[in-house]
Formats: sequence, C-alpha cells, structure tokens
Amino acid sequence: MTILEIKNLHHTYDNENYALEDINLSINDGEIVSILGPSGCGKTTLLRVIAGLERQSKGTIKINEQIISNEKFMIPPEKRSIGLVVQDKALFPHLNVINNVIFGIQKNKEKYNLAKNYLDIFKVEELADKYPHEISGGEQQRVALARAMAPHPNILLLDEPFSALDQSLKSELHHETKKIFKEKGLTVVIVSHDKDEAKFLSDRLIYIEDGKISPQK
Amino acid sequence: MVLASLLGDYSDNWAHLYDYVLVDYISNTLYLIIGVSLLSLLIGTVTAWIVTTYDFFGKRFLEWALILPLATPPYILAYTFTGFFDAFGTANNFIRDIFSLDQSFIFFPNIRNIYGAVIVFSFTLYPYIYLVSRSAFLNQSRSMLEAGRMLGLSQFEIFYKLSLPIIRPAVIGGLMLVIMETISDFGAVDHFAIQTFTTGVFRTWHGMYDLKTAMQLASILLIFVATFVWIEKISRKKALYTSGTSTFKPTKKIKLLKYKAFISFFICFIPILIGFILPITELIIWAISYNLSFFNEKFLLAAMNTILLSITAAVLCASIALIINFSIRFKKYRFSNFLSSFLSLGYAVPGLILAVGIVQLFALIDQNILFNSDIILTGSIVGLIFAYIIKSYALANSTFESGFQRISTNLDDSARTLKSSGWNLLSRVHLPLLKTSFLTSILMVTSEVVKELPATLILRPFNFDTLAVATYIYAAEERMFQAAAPAIAIMLVGLIPIILLTKMISSSRPMDK
Repeated sequence: MTILEIKNLHHTYDNENYALEDINLSINDGEIVSILGPSGCGKTTLLRVIAGLERQSKGTIKINEQIISNEKFMIPPEKRSIGLVVQDKALFPHLNVINNVIFGIQKNKEKYNLAKNYLDIFKVEELADKYPHEISGGEQQRVALARAMAPHPNILLLDEPFSALDQSLKSELHHETKKIFKEKGLTVVIVSHDKDEAKFLSDRLIYIEDGKISPQK
Repeated sequence: MVLASLLGDYSDNWAHLYDYVLVDYISNTLYLIIGVSLLSLLIGTVTAWIVTTYDFFGKRFLEWALILPLATPPYILAYTFTGFFDAFGTANNFIRDIFSLDQSFIFFPNIRNIYGAVIVFSFTLYPYIYLVSRSAFLNQSRSMLEAGRMLGLSQFEIFYKLSLPIIRPAVIGGLMLVIMETISDFGAVDHFAIQTFTTGVFRTWHGMYDLKTAMQLASILLIFVATFVWIEKISRKKALYTSGTSTFKPTKKIKLLKYKAFISFFICFIPILIGFILPITELIIWAISYNLSFFNEKFLLAAMNTILLSITAAVLCASIALIINFSIRFKKYRFSNFLSSFLSLGYAVPGLILAVGIVQLFALIDQNILFNSDIILTGSIVGLIFAYIIKSYALANSTFESGFQRISTNLDDSARTLKSSGWNLLSRVHLPLLKTSFLTSILMVTSEVVKELPATLILRPFNFDTLAVATYIYAAEERMFQAAAPAIAIMLVGLIPIILLTKMISSSRPMDK
C-alpha cells in the first residue's frame, strides 16, 4: 500500500531557478528508500518539503491517500505525524536524554515507559539522566533516533543521519537501525550522499540531480 | 505626533524664539556636538588603542574599568562637578587650605558653561567609542600591522595611518551614539544653564505653556537625531567590511615597562578618575556629611517607586521583545520585522520628545476614546511605562536577536516534527534556552530606566518621585547633600550592565586564553 505519494512537485526559492522540478514519487508502507545525489542537488529540500518545513511552489503531497499539501492547502509539520532526524542531531540542550525522548509524546500516559523502551532499543537506557553535551556523538544520534521514533510517526525522515560519525560507529549503527526499522515496519526516507550506506540501509534508491529525479546509475 | 506639529499653525512665540533664543539653541547645540565629538573621540580611541596594543601593569583592570563612566549619567557628573569646582566647592577649598590662601582666591575656573558641559558629556559618553574601537582594534590582523612596520611606519604612525582609518566606520557608529545622547540630554545642560534645544522645548512648554511651539522645536531636534541615526546605520553596514579578514592573526601585545607603563596607565586612568571615581567619591562624601540622614522615608519611597517602575517596564519590554523576535523567527511575518525595526528607533528619540509625543497621544485617547476624561492615561504610570518601553526596546531587542541567533534552527525543525509549535515551542524550547538573554535584557532595561530623567520628569503622576527625579529636584535647589543618596543609588544600578559588558569582554578575548 502506498503511504507517501508526491505528484508534479516543484519548488523554487527565487521564482526563477527550480530547486526541485517535477518530482513524482510513491513510497510503500514499510519501505526504506534512500535519496542520493551530489550536494546542492535538492535532496534535503525534498525532505524539508515532505516534512512541511518548506512549502512547495507547485504539486501535491499525499500521506495515506490524504492530501497534506498542495498549492492552496498545507498541514503544518507538527500535525503531519512525520519524524525527522538531522545530521547535527538537534537534541534540546536544556533537557536530559529521557526528557528529549518524552518531548514529542508529552500527552501519552505511558510516556516514561515508552521513552525508556526506545532508549533500551537503541542501547542508551543508562544515559537517561545525562544531558546531550555529556554524551558522545554516536550516543546523541541514537537518542535523536529514539526521540523521532517515539511518537510512532507515519514516516521517518533521516537527513544524512550518520555522516558526522566515524566509520566503525557508522557500520555499527547501520546494522542496528536497519534491524529496528524492519522490526517496527517503519517507512523511512533517508537522504545520503554515501552510496554504500544507502545501498545497505534501503530497499530502493532514488537519484536526484539538479532538482530532478534521474534514472538509476 | 510630534512631527505633525510642523504642519500646524505657528504661534506668536516663534517670533520671540526667533529673535532671542533660537540662534543660541542652534549654536550651543552645535558647539556641544563638535566639542564632545572631538574630546570623546580622543579619549575613546587612544585608550582603546593603548589597552589593545600594549601590555603593562594594570592593563586588565583598565580594560574593563574604562567602561565604568557609563554608569554615571551626564546630569550626575554635572551636579558633582559643580559641587567640586564651584567657587566654594571641594576642589577650590582644598587648594585654599593647602596653600593658606584668601577666601576670595579661586583656583579652578567656573565650569558652568559650554566647556564644562563638553567635559561632562565627553567623560561620561566616551565608553561608547572606547567599546567599538577596542573590539575593532582587537579584530585587526597582525600581518597587516606587521606589513606596516616593514614599510617603515613607527608605532604611532601605525595608529593614525593604519589602525585608525580602518576602524573609522565602527568608530563613527559609536560617535553617533555619543552625539545622540548629547543632544538628548536635559539634566546636565539645564543644570549648567546652557540654552539648547532640549532646555528650549522644556522652557517653551512649562514656562510659556505653549505645547505646540514646544513640539515644533522638538521636531527640529528630531530631524537632527534622525540624521545621526541614518549616519549610524550606514557606518554600521560599512563596519562589516572592515571587521576581520580570512587571514586573521591576532595581534601580539607589546610589553611596556617602567615610565612607559606608568604613562600608559596614567592616560587610561584619567577618564576613569573623572568619569567615575571623582563623582562617586564626591557623592559619598556628601552623603556621609549629611549624617546618613538621607535614609529617610522620602528616599525609600523614591527608591521603591523606581524599583517598581523599572522592573515592571523591564519585564514588559523583555517580554515584548521576546514575542516579536519569536514571531519573526517562527512565522517570518514582515510586519513583526517592521515593528521591531521601528520600535528600535525609540532609543534615539530624546526622552523629552518622547514625553511630549506621549502626552499628546494619551490626551487624544483620553478625550476621544476613554469617556472624555482627562486623567485616565495622561499623568498615569501607564504613560511612563510606555515611554520606558519605547526608549529601551532596542536594548532588549539586540539581546534577544543575538540569543535567537545562537539557537540552531534545526532545533525548531525537530520540535515541530515532534508536534510542538507556537506558544508550546516558545515555552518548551526557546524560553529555557533564552533564560540568560531574558535576564540580561531585564537588567539592561532596568538600569536604563533608573537613569532616565526628562521623560520621567514630565510623565510622572503628581507627587510621584523616582531616584532620578529626586536627584534633579535636590540639585536644582542646590541641595547637593540630599541629592547624593539617590544619585549613588542610580550609579550603583548603572553598574549592572557594566558588569554584564565586562563578562562579554572577557569572553571576547579568545587569544588570551
């Protein structure tokens, strides 16, 4: 079943040059898709448009067959049920690890257990009381993943999530996260410039060049 | 409101003003601007150059102590100067006592004139130039200065041929602040009986009871101010090009010893002595000779009014600045951007003109909207707080602007995908991270409000005294001993932003760590 559907999507920042041009894409439930391309090709812009952090100039985005944005209408990011993890992790520096994970599930009665469960899945449960600056980069990335997954988003978007980590940490996290994503049946869209990483993590690769989807290389 | 008065009728008082005082207003204001600019430029740039170029005993102390005179409002230095240098003031008495001279002998000349005013303004306002010059000198690349040395320039030639021209745009920005403060001042020129635009506006309004002409005079002053604001804005843009280069190497300090170290220390110490140590010492002597009986009900009431007013205004001002800056960041509203820039101009509007405008505006609201009454807003604390917020918004705004810049927008993006936006985002993410900015802006605004004299004098409710008003009234009646206690309190509160600035200065010295 298609969970994310993008039709005729265009995006421009200056009304002249397209950052994204005629993007058509559909992603199935539980699928892991990587978007590959050189820097500045528009892959991060695509992710931000899907998340609702940018509004496209033209085109339609549907999630579960419901329109979430087109030229006239747009559901804000906080109401889209989409998770996001970025390269610099963006953990809230004033909250400890457990409260970072609880941030998005504040209204859930089981929030503590749920958060602990996710910390456990990502093997960082013993860091629950630590603050982001007290833990390593790899640990921060695990917390960021736990935080994004805790609210059970429809789709999880990852923007170069592992690029700031060293090689051994990367491969360790690659194995673990892929396993977790598959176990949970999550739909994941990963933006990456690392072809090997993308190949390992995902079921399908999409190439973007100059804002357009290009045939597979 | 004030500028609109230029389009209205011109009363007969204009003929009187034109014939007798307008030339004085213009010439005195211009003399003040020229004198204060030259002297404060000299003090500000030379001291900044000395503390950034040389290393000598006491340099660390001087580096932050040179900002201390910012805590002294010009009117308080004017009061202490008259007490100190008057015919029977502390200084002349001291000279007579030492040399056993006759009572008619006067060593120090009268300082209640334009030269005295130039000294008063220069020694209290030069820190604006010192601060920008210091950071501009610090940002100068060592390789550029070394190239100057290799091309045969002496240390002094490097100062005026290389360093000074390069920091010029930054210094002009600081100078414009000095000029704006000088022409906005009311307390000091009033005490020295110098006829300037501000005293003219006050006299026309409260002496001739001609608000319309007062507003027309104020408009001319406002046009002056607008010109300086404009120059300041341009120089700020230019300053960007000169701060730092890609090949930046911090300058290495030259170590000074013996008499050279002493001379450098002495040059930098004089402005601190005149702008801070002298007035505070004189005030303390006055307070003590008054047998500490200043600690009376009247003083406590004025202090309490001041605290209440300044904290209310500061909290409101900080909250408004926070909300406007948040809406600029979160919603990217053009209107919020415009509102913020517009309110930021308030700092440049002289307190007196602000008061005139607010009185007019509130009278209009009172009469037309609030049941034809004269008293609901006019002459109430609301007017005062309103004036303080407009006057200090720029301070709070700049604190939040830099605070928000330090928060990565990735945090906002993550928070939004975690169902947090609007007030929720502000209270759960931004506010906890901006606690320091919030506190800093409250302290900065508090200290600004405590010092503000002309707006308070005009807008305060009947019989409502603050520390600044109490100081002004006592000084106007030449009751200096009684003026001492509130003046000391004002200076102490004025130290708060200086302590904050000192912290920022010590953290702006990466190469020393």
